[in-house]
Amino acid sequence: MFLTAQNKLKVITFLVLMPFGYASAELTSLSDNDLSEVDGAGIGLVMEDFVFSFGNDPANDKVFKITGLTSTSGESVVVNVNQLYIARSNSNYGTTLDGVNLGRLTNPYEIDLLDGDDIGLTGEAVLQLAAPTKVDASVGYDCLDTNAVAGSGTCSSRPSSASWVNGERPDIGLEMEVNVGVEAPRNMNINASSAVFDGSYIRLWGDEGTNKMAAEFRLNFYTPELEISTCSQVNQGCGSSMKMRDFELELALGNTFQPLYFGADSITGGLTIEIAKITHDYINNIDLGTGLSDGTVDGDAAFAFFQDYYTNPAYRSNIAVSDLNISGTSLGSSKVEGLLIQYLDVKFRDLSP
Amino acid sequence: MIRLIRTSIMLLAFSSLCSAEMTKITDDDLAGVIGQGVYLSGEISINENGGPLANSFFGACTDANKECGARLSFQTQQGGGWFVLGNIKGTIAFEGLTLQVRNISSGFGGDGALFNKDVMEIGLPESLRMNDFQFTLATSSNARPGDAGFQQVDLLTVEMDGEVTLDGNLLIFPTP
Repeated sequence: MFLTAQNKLKVITFLVLMPFGYASAELTSLSDNDLSEVDGAGIGLVMEDFVFSFGNDPANDKVFKITGLTSTSGESVVVNVNQLYIARSNSNYGTTLDGVNLGRLTNPYEIDLLDGDDIGLTGEAVLQLAAPTKVDASVGYDCLDTNAVAGSGTCSSRPSSASWVNGERPDIGLEMEVNVGVEAPRNMNINASSAVFDGSYIRLWGDEGTNKMAAEFRLNFYTPELEISTCSQVNQGCGSSMKMRDFELELALGNTFQPLYFGADSITGGLTIEIAKITHDYINNIDLGTGLSDGTVDGDAAFAFFQDYYTNPAYRSNIAVSDLNISGTSLGSSKVEGLLIQYLDVKFRDLSP
Repeated sequence: MIRLIRTSIMLLAFSSLCSAEMTKITDDDLAGVIGQGVYLSGEISINENGGPLANSFFGACTDANKECGARLSFQTQQGGGWFVLGNIKGTIAFEGLTLQVRNISSGFGGDGALFNKDVMEIGLPESLRMNDFQFTLATSSNARPGDAGFQQVDLLTVEMDGEVTLDGNLLIFPTP
């Protein structure tokens, strides 16, 4: 029997499809609801003996620069990154590069799929990228003290010590030379010592109502010294600097009721960052004059919701510095506590016509 | 045709002889295998001399008015604009990336003994070199340059060239 080209194709297609026909009968699609029931193990990540360092150094054939920026007067800005580093604490502005651990085997950085039902996002599957979690003060370490011992605070990451020299608190630095047009280059350096990110996380999910990618972002950043200076690359310890001792940042952007939306504008192409205003299904059951429930069950529910929203410290951001020292002059401590972002709408646009 | 059939029969006969010697490896047997790990070296080159597209936006790297790097764009909102990782070009060469399974039962400041499990270890390369590697972070109104009403806002461009210091091991393991 001779097969025409068309018949051949049919026979081959049939043969190929046959096994799939059986297989696909067993396949069903997974909805967001089904996925949210998945309680899988997460993936733990630990960096052991980690060192990263790179910088612009023409004498040694190294180029590291950031371009594409424009000053307000229209001149192009070229930022030469003299050094970007992550290394063990006591790195002396990134000149001594030893290995540091990031995350602990017992409390690592983690990629996880969370059940939204457990965190107030009913029926959603939530992807979480998290730093080591905070722990009970009876076993944790002080977040700022470079000599902290167990039982002194709520951070899990340990400082470098004689018995555990790597530690889990890296020195991080970004040292730059900014060139604007034909002006003389200016230096700008940001160095943080013994940095801790414990308790930080980002959660991402698809918001069904708005069809947007929604996020909840917590950034905890603690360092015994954050230094911003204009020193030259070879003399990082110079006097023209702003030193922030015991710097604590606890930034909360977005929550389950007011997710953070990252996007781009479909007309101008600019970056957009939004946090929607807070509301509740029964907000009309709250008396506008007294701010209290109208006595109905719905009103009580709405009141309890707003009571929690305005009093829960988890939704608020804090910044604290125990001593701000500018070029040797101490300005004392400063604190911004309980900052609640109720509405945010940021739109980027290109300055050039 | 006859030759083809003969070859097929010979191949089949050979494989059937081999398969007679094969036995299943159980999970227990596999757990007993001690691997040697993998050592990798390589060079990844992206659009070093430009990509295949030539239109009003893309072109050869020698043309200063055209973009010649690769472009990835993704959308985070239905009907919204696009995040762009654009003009990706250059070479990343590495030597000595290792991959192995390792048992950890000590060290790590006392955590090793508590942990006492296997992890997958990716040893970062001994040497990592960038050659004229660059990329641009941007946002745009449409997925592709050339679409009607296309607007793009470039945020910044990063350029890297030379030997990078990158040491350490990435340990990967399941968490409860």
